[in-house]
Amino acid sequence: MFGLEVHHLTKRYRRLTALADVSFTVRPGEIIGLIGPNGSGKTTLFECLAGILPSDDGTVTQGGRPLAPGERSAALFYVPDGIAPWPSQTVRWALDFTIGFFGGREDLRDEVVRRLDLEPFLDAAIGTLSKGQKKRAVLAIGLLAPQPLLLADEPFDGLDLRQTREVAATLRAYAAGGRTLFLSIHQINDAARICDRFVLLSGGRVCGEGTIDELSALAGARGASVRGGDLEEVFLALT
Amino acid sequence: MRSPRSKFVWLLRKELRELVASRAWWIMLIAMGPLVGVSFISAVRTYAEASGLNGTAAGVGEAFSPLVGVWAPTFSACELAAAFLLPFVAIRLVSGDRQSGALKLELQHPMPALVRILAKGLVLLAGWMVALAAGGVAIVLWRSYGGSAYPPELATVVLGHVLNAGLTIALAAATASVTEHPSTAAILTLGVTVGTWIVNFVAAVEGGIWERAAGYTPTAIVAELQHGLIRLDVVLVVAALIACGLVLSAIWTRLGIPVRRRAYESAALGALTAAAILACTFATPSWDMSENRMNSFSEADELALERIHAPLRIEAHLAPEDPRRADLEQHALSKLRRVLPRTEVRYVSATSIGLFEQTSAHYGEIQYDLGGRKAVSHLTTAEGVLETIYDLAGIAPPTEADDVFRGHPLAVPPKGAGTVFYGIWPAVIIAAAFFSRRVRGPL
Repeated sequence: MFGLEVHHLTKRYRRLTALADVSFTVRPGEIIGLIGPNGSGKTTLFECLAGILPSDDGTVTQGGRPLAPGERSAALFYVPDGIAPWPSQTVRWALDFTIGFFGGREDLRDEVVRRLDLEPFLDAAIGTLSKGQKKRAVLAIGLLAPQPLLLADEPFDGLDLRQTREVAATLRAYAAGGRTLFLSIHQINDAARICDRFVLLSGGRVCGEGTIDELSALAGARGASVRGGDLEEVFLALT
Repeated sequence: MRSPRSKFVWLLRKELRELVASRAWWIMLIAMGPLVGVSFISAVRTYAEASGLNGTAAGVGEAFSPLVGVWAPTFSACELAAAFLLPFVAIRLVSGDRQSGALKLELQHPMPALVRILAKGLVLLAGWMVALAAGGVAIVLWRSYGGSAYPPELATVVLGHVLNAGLTIALAAATASVTEHPSTAAILTLGVTVGTWIVNFVAAVEGGIWERAAGYTPTAIVAELQHGLIRLDVVLVVAALIACGLVLSAIWTRLGIPVRRRAYESAALGALTAAAILACTFATPSWDMSENRMNSFSEADELALERIHAPLRIEAHLAPEDPRRADLEQHALSKLRRVLPRTEVRYVSATSIGLFEQTSAHYGEIQYDLGGRKAVSHLTTAEGVLETIYDLAGIAPPTEADDVFRGHPLAVPPKGAGTVFYGIWPAVIIAAAFFSRRVRGPL
């Protein structure tokens, strides 16, 4: 079980502040959703956490112990959105490479392939796959990676309703098995279906953090009238 | 169960698969056949004619060495490929990860960036060695015609093209990592190549420090090794430049490090490389691997010169573009430096071409100072220079030995070479490319 505390993370692109003093906590074994509109800084936040984009300020700790960017690869694995890694290679090879190079779990290979329905295109080149197929292939790489915390950017993007539900069920199963999942989700309804808690991000700032009930209470405290349990309403009230 | 293979082996195999999947590499391989072929056929034909084929004066070719007559022109096709084809293969392999997003995944492995770049460099070098097989085919054909091949000089030619490819790979890797887009990297790489040509041009006109710098450009390095001369300083400078390119590439693939820090690291690397290159230029050992000792005086002359221990200073009043200066440098001084490393040569001229200096006092003079004893001469031939030095040193010139290189004339046309290089080679490469796409092997 793995948790993470983010303190005052700030990232600037010259005069544009992409992330401003972002702080929140990821609890061990939970599925936490990062919710925000386009351009709110979700991808930037994930890339800073993964250490593949330098942040200007702030710290990441685990149980109070600072995690330098170079140390995070042992703790978390980030699955970016919109990538088609090694496009000339087959899905089968990409999974083997994940197991061999990243030290992924070989015992999970068949299960991940079955759950994400990858069998029909295991021998297809990744570059030739459809958007949804690519998404599932990249998610499989993330699920096979050995790190206890998985960051997935838009895991349902490009998937149809049935696939979204199947992938959500798969992610839940892995969370139940002890994996901590931090998912950046554009579609609020999808987030509400799968996540235990939420971090609301707007304009590079955290507008709220907690369960739907906690966020509803926060919105109420700020004078907004929110229908019970509606994440969309809560999000609109807090951002 | 964890995979027992080492991470580096996994990475090497991945890079190898990416290279085999790269169309740029296959195109380079296809092009190598006709490129090497046209050079080889032309060289063998000229060599045959000079050796007496088709009624030309037989005996002219007796002084011919296959190194100069066949291997230098044949392998010069590789220089062309290294300048204009190899950069695209290297850029594709380095930039591909960034373009596809694979880099974002691979960066999450704690493996040092330099090790990752090294894996790419090794695979690219292996890919280049496959391309050099076209030269190997030329050697086989030459032997089948009854031609002579002297392995040490052939190995030296190949070493030159391997070092040149190493420079290209390191440069392309660096530009591909520094820039966001492969096309920018390609322009930068070709820009640097053209820049080295400009240095050569300026050196020919200006002389001085430019001339010294031009001695380390890829063109000069390849030319020297194609003539069978291995200079330690050149090899060390190339090694330093290759290391610099690869480290620079590694610095800029670490996307998680702030740009400012990467810029500081790059500046420090540049300073370190400059210092290393400066230190390397003081290395004097060199080896003449040519069968006809074309980069050396005769053994008797070398033995006589080795008896001279006083410092030798030469001041040549010749302009950079004066052909006598090139004669003096190539036929005498370059050989002299190999025997007497403490020789200090200084060129003096007021203009670049020397045409309007002919009437100036001292123009055309070569002034010698051997341990305080002085002499002036106008001779630019090896014999003239040696005679002056022997006079100054009070040494009797050695008698000429009989073991003069007689050459390996061969009056045989390049039979079947066209079929091999223009037909069979491209067909085999295309078939291999097709096969590699159909069968995704156990790599």
